[in-house]
Amino acid sequence: MSILKDVLSELFGMFVGDARLTAAILAMVAVAAVLIDGTALPPLAGGGALLAGCIAVLVISVHREARRRRAAIARPSEDS
Amino acid sequence: MLDWSTATPAIAAAFLASLVEVVEAFTIVLVVATLRGWKPAVLGTGAALATLGAVVLVLGPLLDRVPLHALQLMIGVLLLLFGIGWLRKAALRAGGVIPLHDENAIFAQETAELSEAVKRQQTSQDWIAGIAAYKAVLLEGLEVIFIVIAVSAGRGLLWPASLGALAACALVLVVGAIAHRPLARVPENTLKFGVGVMLSAFGVFWTGEGLGVEWPGQDLALFVFAAVFLLAGLMSARVVRQPAPEVVQ
Repeated sequence: MSILKDVLSELFGMFVGDARLTAAILAMVAVAAVLIDGTALPPLAGGGALLAGCIAVLVISVHREARRRRAAIARPSEDS
Repeated sequence: MLDWSTATPAIAAAFLASLVEVVEAFTIVLVVATLRGWKPAVLGTGAALATLGAVVLVLGPLLDRVPLHALQLMIGVLLLLFGIGWLRKAALRAGGVIPLHDENAIFAQETAELSEAVKRQQTSQDWIAGIAAYKAVLLEGLEVIFIVIAVSAGRGLLWPASLGALAACALVLVVGAIAHRPLARVPENTLKFGVGVMLSAFGVFWTGEGLGVEWPGQDLALFVFAAVFLLAGLMSARVVRQPAPEVVQ
């Protein structure tokens, strides 16, 4: 049972390591799908939005995580 | 006939990703071999490889039944989730925000943990050691299987990508057998950075195709996407890197 639990936890962690990152990527895919299927724009515009959105998600996510971790390290020294 | 503009990134991604995962699994297998001998290490590894083979045999035919566009979209989204996650972690490591993966430290920690577990369970020490090897190879192997299937899906590249993964396994086994210690000098974060870039590029490519986008230049667009992700990852790592504290005179 422990092995099965570990396998399921590994599979979950592979794709949903960070809930915000996962939600942001899925939102970008949804935006691209709407642009491609729900507007008169050429499909390539949706593709371009997907690429640009994923790059933005990556950059923002790296910065946010760096800020969060540094704030967590700085907090105990501020308290003392 | 192989289309090398598609096959090259697929084989390279499978090879590099497998290299990272196999190095991590090898560290645990080596812990088991060092503590309890090669028998439980080899048996655990063999059983895990058989389980992984069974997973491929079950999953392969199932995936063939999924319509191509749906398969591309599903795999593409999973690749985006997995690839951008790897790239983010690699950028944070390169920027010094989180520590680099240290195989020597992991070897020491796993040795301590397995020794403790073996001491507690006097009756079946080899069994516990074998299970540890089994779990390590199975868990790291699942990621390899996903990457191999994902980068080769719908393009008839399963064999070339599998060969790329097997070549990485063979390389780690040969180097590991000669060195007989954790492969701590493998530039793991650089490899993870590269794999994250490739998987993210494949993710955008497959997701776009699944949604009906016809990329200009077709497969060559992969290289452009990879270049853009590489640039974004490097820039992010550079921006979050803190300057070294000034020396107080």
